Formats: sequence, C-alpha cells, structure tokens
Amino acid sequence: MEWTMTLDAPGKVCLMQGNEAVVRGAVEAGINFAASYPGSPSSQILGMLGKIARERGFYAQWATNEVCALEACIGTSLANARSICIVKQNGLLCTADALHCGAQHGVKGGLVIVTSDDPSAHSSTNEFDSRFMAMSADLPMLEPTTMQEAKDMVPYAFELSEKYRQMVLLRLTTRVCHGRSNVTLGPLPEAPHPLKAVGEWDRLVCVSYRHTPMLETLDSLQEAFEECPYNRYAGPEAPKKLIVAGGTGRLYAEEALHRLDAGGEVGLLSLASLWPLPEKLIARYLRGAEEVLILEEVDPFLERNLQAIAGKHGFSIRFAGRGDGALPRVGELTPELVLAAVAGLAGKTPPARKRGAEEPLLERELNFCAGCPHRATFHLLRRVLRREKNPGIVVGDIGCYIMSSQEAGHYAYQACNCMGSGINLAEGLGQLTAYGLDQKVVTMCGDSTFYHSILPGLVNARYHDSNMLLMVLDNSATAMTGFQPHPGTGVTAMGDNVAPMEIRPICEAMGCKVAEADPFDVDATEALMARLLQEPGLKVLILRQPCATLKSKQGRAKVRVRVDQDKCFGDGCGCDKFCSRVWGCPGNSWDFTKNKAVIDPVSCVGCGVCAKLCPAGAIVVEGGDEA
Amino acid sequence: MLSTYALDSQVLQKGLCTNCGACQGLCPYWDSHRGRTLCYYDCERADGRCQRFCPRMPTDLGALARKAFPGETILPELGPFRALYLARAADASLRAGAQHGGVVTALTELALREGLIDGALLTRAQGTLEPSGVVVTEAAEARSCSGSSFQIPPSLAALNRALREDRLHSLGVVGTPCKTLAVYKMRCDPLPENDNHAGNIKLVIGLFCGWGMDWDGMEALTGRYAASGAAHVDILPSKYHSLEFALGDGAGTVVPVDLDEVLPLVRPACRACADMTAEFADLSVGGARSADGWETDKHWNQIIVRSRTGEELLELARSRGVLEFRDPPDTALDKLKQASLGKKRTAVRTLRALCGGLGYLAPSAGALPDCD
Repeated sequence: MEWTMTLDAPGKVCLMQGNEAVVRGAVEAGINFAASYPGSPSSQILGMLGKIARERGFYAQWATNEVCALEACIGTSLANARSICIVKQNGLLCTADALHCGAQHGVKGGLVIVTSDDPSAHSSTNEFDSRFMAMSADLPMLEPTTMQEAKDMVPYAFELSEKYRQMVLLRLTTRVCHGRSNVTLGPLPEAPHPLKAVGEWDRLVCVSYRHTPMLETLDSLQEAFEECPYNRYAGPEAPKKLIVAGGTGRLYAEEALHRLDAGGEVGLLSLASLWPLPEKLIARYLRGAEEVLILEEVDPFLERNLQAIAGKHGFSIRFAGRGDGALPRVGELTPELVLAAVAGLAGKTPPARKRGAEEPLLERELNFCAGCPHRATFHLLRRVLRREKNPGIVVGDIGCYIMSSQEAGHYAYQACNCMGSGINLAEGLGQLTAYGLDQKVVTMCGDSTFYHSILPGLVNARYHDSNMLLMVLDNSATAMTGFQPHPGTGVTAMGDNVAPMEIRPICEAMGCKVAEADPFDVDATEALMARLLQEPGLKVLILRQPCATLKSKQGRAKVRVRVDQDKCFGDGCGCDKFCSRVWGCPGNSWDFTKNKAVIDPVSCVGCGVCAKLCPAGAIVVEGGDEA
Repeated sequence: MLSTYALDSQVLQKGLCTNCGACQGLCPYWDSHRGRTLCYYDCERADGRCQRFCPRMPTDLGALARKAFPGETILPELGPFRALYLARAADASLRAGAQHGGVVTALTELALREGLIDGALLTRAQGTLEPSGVVVTEAAEARSCSGSSFQIPPSLAALNRALREDRLHSLGVVGTPCKTLAVYKMRCDPLPENDNHAGNIKLVIGLFCGWGMDWDGMEALTGRYAASGAAHVDILPSKYHSLEFALGDGAGTVVPVDLDEVLPLVRPACRACADMTAEFADLSVGGARSADGWETDKHWNQIIVRSRTGEELLELARSRGVLEFRDPPDTALDKLKQASLGKKRTAVRTLRALCGGLGYLAPSAGALPDCD
C-alpha cells in the first residue's frame, strides 16, 4: 500500500487510511524532517514515513520520546526545514513545556504537530482532549473530518505555519486515523522544501517579551480562520436549530440529518479551525439560533467556547452537548448517540435501530498474549511478594505490562501514573522505608519506556539510593504499539542498522546494582527476585525474554506442547485447573468433555513455561527447543 | 466455601496456624516461608486435602481418637495410653548429639534398620535454626537430624511430597502434636477422591511440645545469646524458669535465658493448642521428669506408648538393646496429666479470646476434660 504515499499521479483517487493520508500530505508538502514516539492511534504515520524517507529525500526518526521528537523538529525549523512531529494525546502532554516555549518563540521553517486523540481510550490509559493544549499554548489547531482533509490539511498547515511563523497543531481522532476513504492525490514536489543556512540573527528564543507578538500572531490567525476553506455551513440561512460539529461529529451529523430528513430546518456548521475559533463566522450562525447542539470528541471544548461567544454577543441560546447531558461526558461519539441527540434537537423520533446478531459478545478482560514473558514475570513477582511478612508495594508503568493490573497479572500493582512515572513513585516510597514503612517497593518498565522516560528517574533513585527494585521487562520491542524500533533494538525508522544501546551498561554506568534473568527460567528468576528484594538500596533487575509476538513474526520453529491427560489432575485437589484458571495463558485451554487441561495448538507459541509449572507434570514439550 | 478461603478465614486470620505444613506440598497454592503459611492463589474447590488435614480446622478429636485407637485405652488428659516409660538410647555417641536421651533418633534408626519403615519424615536444622522437613531412608541420615529447634518448620509439606511420589510404602513420621494430629486426619478422614497415599504411613512418633517460637523471634534470641550458633535448645523444668542454649563448643558451655524474655516470642498459635503429649501417635516422647532432678533427667526421655505398633517397636528396641530403661516414679503419670491439662486449659482460654468459643475444638467438646 506504500505506493499511494509516493505515487506521482495528481488527481488519482486512492483508498487511504487517515494515517496514510497524513503521510501523503506530508510528502506533498515536501517535508524535510519527521520525528515521533509511537502511540496509538497514530503510530503508523512515522512507520510509513520511515519507509519512504530515503526515496523522498527527508529524514525520519523514531525518537526516544515525544519531547526529543518535538524539540528536534524545532531545531530543524531554524534551518527552514519543514518538520512534522507525530504524537498521541499523552505524548502531546509530555511535550507541554517545549510546546509552550516553542509557541512563544515561533518557528522559521514550517512545523506541524500531528496529535491523535483516543476517545474512549481504546488503547490509552485515559482520554485527553488535546484542543486544550492549543488553547493553553496559544497555538493554532486544525481538525480534519475526512481522509481527504487529513491529507489536504497537512500542506495547508505548513503554509500557515510558515506564513505566521508559528507551530500548527493538527488534531486527529481514532476514527480519522484508522478509517479509510477515497483521497484524490495532489502533486508531489520535485524536491523537498529548501533548507536555508541558519543566519547569525535567526532567533528561536523563548523570552517573555515574545508573549505579546505571540498573541498578535494568534489574532492574525483568527482573522485568517474566518476564511478557512475547511470550515463549512449547510442548511437554512438563519437557522433556529443549529448543529456545530468538529471532526468526526460532522459525518455523524450529516448521517443523522439525512436519516431524520431534517436538513431543511437544522443548520450544520462544521468547524475545522478549532483554535483560535473564527468568532465572526460562528456568531453569524449563532445569531438567531434558539437551540444549538455541539458534536465533538472528548471534552465540551467547542461547547464552552461557543457559550462564551454567545454570552459575549448577548445571544440567548439553549446549548446541548457533552457538557449538558445531551451526549455522554466520556467516551467516543457513535452514530446512534448522535442520531438520538440530533432527533432531540429536531424534535423528531429517531428511526428504530437495525439490530445485528442478538447473541451478546463474550466479555473478556485484556490478557497477555500466549507465551508473553510478562505473564511469567508477574507470576514470579506474586510468589515472591506473597512470602513477605508485609505485602509489597508494586508500582506500574505504561506498556503491555499495564495489563498486570488486571487478572492477567494477578492485580499486581497499587499505583500507575503516566509513562515513566513508576520509578519516581517507587523512589518516593522507597525513601519512606527508612521512616517506618516496612514494605518492599517494586516498580517496572519496559525496554522502550526505559529509554523514553525512566532514565532521569533512575538517576534520581540511584543518586538518592532509594530502597526499591526496578524490574526492566526487556522484551526487545515496543510491543504494544506495533514493534517500532527503540534505542535498544539496533535499527532505526529508516531501516538503518546502528549500534544498540544496551540497558545493563547504562544502569551500571550510573552505579546501579544490576542483575539479569530470564523470566522463563522460573526457579532461578524467582530466587534472584527474592534475594534482590532483601538487599537494601536501589536494585535493577533486567528480565530478558523477547516478546512472543515478535518471535512468531520472526517465524521461529514452534515446539509442540501437549497435555498428557492421563497424568493431568484437572479440577482435582492438587491442581484445580492451575494452567487455564490461574496461569491463564490463552494457549492453556480446558477440555470440557474430559474435564482435563488441553493445549490450544493455535494459540500456543511453545514457550513451555506451563510445563514447568504444571503440578502434575502432565504438560509435555516435544520437538525442538522451548522458546 | 472455597478451600483456600476456608483455611485463610478459619485458621490463618484467626492466628491459629502452627505452620505444620499439612496443607502444603499438595498443590501450587499453599506454601510457607520463614514460619509463615501463605497462599499464592485462591483454589476454587469446595473441599480439599488442605482443609481436611489442617489440625486447626474444626475436628471431633474424640471421634478421631476412637477411629484410630481402642476406646478403652483413651484417657481424657493424655489421650490413648498403654504405658509410660523412662528410657534413653544405649549408644552414648548417639545421646551426645541428641536432645535428652536420644530415644526418638534411636527408635527411628532401629525402625529403618529393621525395615519396619523404608523412610522417615524428620526435621533437620542448622544448629537450632532454619529447620526443614526431610524424608530420610538411611539410619545414618536419621542421626544427622538429631537435636532440637523451636522454630516450627512445615515438615508435613515434605511428607505430602513423599506420599505423592508413592515411592516409599512404609513411612515413619516424627513430629510435634499439631503434625501428628494432621497425620491422623490424613489417615482417618481422607478426601474421598484422593487418599493422599496416607496408607503408606506406618509409624508415628509424637514429640511432647509446650510451644514453638516465632521464627524471627527465635532467630533474634539465638543471635543475642548464641551468635555463633547453638547445638541444642531446651526448656528447663518450670522451677528453673529458663530456656537453655547448649553451644556445642566442646566445653559444654550452656547459656541460660530467662523465660520472661522468651515467652513474648512464643508463636501465638501454640497458645491455642490443647495437646502437650502428641496424643495422636504410636509413641509419644518427651523430656524426663523425676525426683533425681534435671541434671539426671536431661539425659533421659519419657515415652508414652499409645498403640500396639508403638508397643512392638519399643519391645524390639528393648530386645535389641537399643534403649536402656529405668522405672518411672509413681507420681510420673499424675504429673504428666496435670501438665497436659494445664496446656488444655490455656488452649481453651486462648480460643475463647480469639474465636469467642472453643474454636477448632468445638466439635470435641464432649471429649475434652474439664478445662475451666
């Protein structure tokens, strides 16, 4: 599918995913530099950019974290480069300082930040509405609705960025990132945007006296957005009932108006320029309106700002949206939710919903994949901590291992804040062990998180010798977001092989006490974990075992694991379905006809750990080496 | 009620667990660490060996005794009783490494040598610390387990593992009263679907027990008084009001510790134990008490014969010259009964405080002597 991103065929219509459309937009804009840290729903963008970077003459990087990515982009802007930085909502929050400082000093070459919000937090710990970051930093923000707009708004954002010498945010949401529709390709530039030498008096410096010019830039952008070609209105000239939609809300609204046949009396104002809001355009349609329904993803951002505009102009309007209960305060918009809200606005009865299958879907908790090394790690951690006189304190972090907070990890941890926070929460608790807190403190991070944001915390914990154990769950992958390279992998976004940065020597260079183990070597690892917990001060335990999915991607030969049902204790005393009920690997299944354990050969990846743990010794690993 | 929950709520949470190990070595759920019984994961079975074997789950001890011993031999204060002896191992070198008269070691060696048993569950300690259950099959190994420790190891976990292997078909078990009770529960009240191969247990030798000590407490006490390690530890007759570490340094150095310093370190669960003389056993062995005084008595044992099996073993020991006997004083039985009753009274008081009633002894109310 990569050809659509580099295809030199202006006018050709291609089916594109939203993330792919952004890539095409960046290519059409002739970018020079791209940097990102993976985060769903926009992880694919930099992955694709990396693959075409050489061909299109730009540089693409999976940065160590979002701050590195954005600040690198700001740096390149000084040389007139067009740079694109891609983050998810949490990643944008990581960049907050750089973003606010950057807004004050502005840019030279165009700089577009693509931020993807994840309504309903499908693959996030929390929802966040990145529009507030634009408002807070006084930065312009655009939001596309269709895949075509996702492509077209990228060059448009670069033009704005360069014209107003300011960063431009492009907000995506999950459905725009992952949806597919037709996109008409634009022309490709003959060469990337021209770089310019950095002049002696070129300045991108954040100083307080830049505040006023920054606000004046915002005023100019507001004027420009009055004419933004992506803001549109359909409906009666002076609507009494008005829908104001941002992002995907527009498509849901169009569908609802069509289904309710209400387009004649209800106006639909679709906004793509979200900040600063085009106040005059909005006021034109608010004037005379009696009821306004706001459709937007995540928070009542438009709703509150439109209420302010209405108040300023003295309009008396009844607003409905996420803020007043017409739509849920949390979670993603759906066509059904919007249909009901639009029907309420239009005073119509929504058509009966066509139901699919009546059979309810099975409710399933998130689980580690079959053969995941984290399952073994958390099993061992539980055993070790259970032996403590006082229950241990476990602090989580962000990665696949976050699922250890659920049954998959036996409800392992008591606290989990943001990415990279585990080491710091644990550091504080570890200090309290000298002040009467008689509990062992354990935290964890993945290999990618280690580089992303653990390092400063580790310096702090080591320097202050906090009494705690950091487990680095090194599965050689940024697994949760799709196996993007990180500094430990030895490859880059552009496919170059480079010298990997090993975690152990980094920790040792800091002066940390470091041990290493394989979580699949259950007895030795359990003993090591237990011993480390008894040692005072900061300990780092690197648990090394590649991600099971990575191994299956590499196509390693599978061993055959089977249950000798004659030996299996089944649900009898002495086992009670330990493998399927407690160990919980999707590969360990239950034979209801015989009341015995069975291996699901489709799920099983042959790690063989269940064979080591089976109390009856009934699980047999045959052929080849265990994983 | 789930098995793990039953034990946790009725035994562990109530502070009654003695860490005998009866619930362990059976499944991936129960384990022990430094004297504490712990559960890694819940088991969802409604019934299981763990709760059936646990000596602190409610049991009708009278009914259990009548299942295992002739009713007419059962004394309310001492349980099944056939005879009382004072004895010691004839082998002086054995006695030198053993507690008191070394009777238990001598009898275990004899039973192994004569093929009465092909393995014995014993407790092996490092000096007097870090004891653990071991199954030995050779007489020489049995001797290496001689001695004493007041930390209570979960030795029945090792028994359960040996029974599961089903490799040894006549096992002897040596243990404190909580452990021998668990063994009789194994034998007499098996889980219908899984007999735990309890039929392989052929001989039970009980050890008199006043109480065991908190694992960490014993370690701290040893560190304080016998930092370089002790060979033996013993509680002296009550008039001495002391515990004694024998350092085993060749000079016969003995370090006494005032009992007031020791009693706070007693494992609280032991205060709820109503059995001093290991009433469920073929033979029960303890320190001797006689008019000759402690300096003599500390090299002798008293033995309660409880079963025909016990009687036969003792006769064999006599005929082989393995044990030397002397007559117990006329008052010995009465003194033993009074001491045993004293422990039962303490147990009843403790249980009333912990459980608001007789707790695990409630089903045995009819069989208990008057403890008030």
